[in-house]
Amino acid sequence: MSIIVNLDVMMARRKMSLNELSEKVDLTLSNLSILKTGKAKAIRFSTLDAICKALDCQPGDLFEFEQLKKRNPGK
Amino acid sequence: MEIKVETKQILKVLHIISWIIFVGLCIEAGSFIYNAISTYFMNPRNASYFQLSNLYEYDSGYFYIEILLMTIVGVLKAILFYIIVKFLQDKKLNFMQPFTVYMKRFIFTLTYLGLGIGLFCVWGAKYREWFMQQEVKMPDVQTLNIGGADVWLFMGITLFIIAQIFKRGIEIQSENELTV
Repeated sequence: MSIIVNLDVMMARRKMSLNELSEKVDLTLSNLSILKTGKAKAIRFSTLDAICKALDCQPGDLFEFEQLKKRNPGK
Repeated sequence: MEIKVETKQILKVLHIISWIIFVGLCIEAGSFIYNAISTYFMNPRNASYFQLSNLYEYDSGYFYIEILLMTIVGVLKAILFYIIVKFLQDKKLNFMQPFTVYMKRFIFTLTYLGLGIGLFCVWGAKYREWFMQQEVKMPDVQTLNIGGADVWLFMGITLFIIAQIFKRGIEIQSENELTV
């Protein structure tokens, strides 16, 4: 997957721990951990809404798209 | 709650029935093997136990091939019920999350066994028909334990379709589990 989740970066900026965030967004620690480690396959808008409210950020602050680099054999 | 108790009771009854059928099938498969060995090593007249004495007199090789087909069908049936007994014994049927790799493997195994039994039954039945055309008196397919080939093939094909649906169900379930 080429979507990078920068949840830990935002949490560090807001000086918030995973436990605090899980209480604020009403998500279990395991689910937040799945999101933080980039293992999540999908995120509900309601969850995204809750996280953005808790961290006072935009959705774009949490996600980053990285184009997979293609190898050029000739160069 | 009541529904759950009923399901458990049904599963217990099915478990006991599966055990009984499994033991019966083991005895049946064992009887074919014993008959083949005793006919070869002890007394050729033992071929009459499954009414195959005419076939033995016609050609002993064909007799052993027919017994082999009967044995394979018997053994495959025993393995099928062993897998069912093991499945019910392990109690890995989880109604909260039914789409597991274990379930998929179980259904696929039943599929292949069902298809295998059906194909060997067809082969045995066709072989028997050919002997009848050679004017060899043969017992019916039920006596030879190679009857119901169409039923086994139908079960195998139906289970194959269900297994494909299960495979997709596992993908959807795992995606759902990883949706936050």
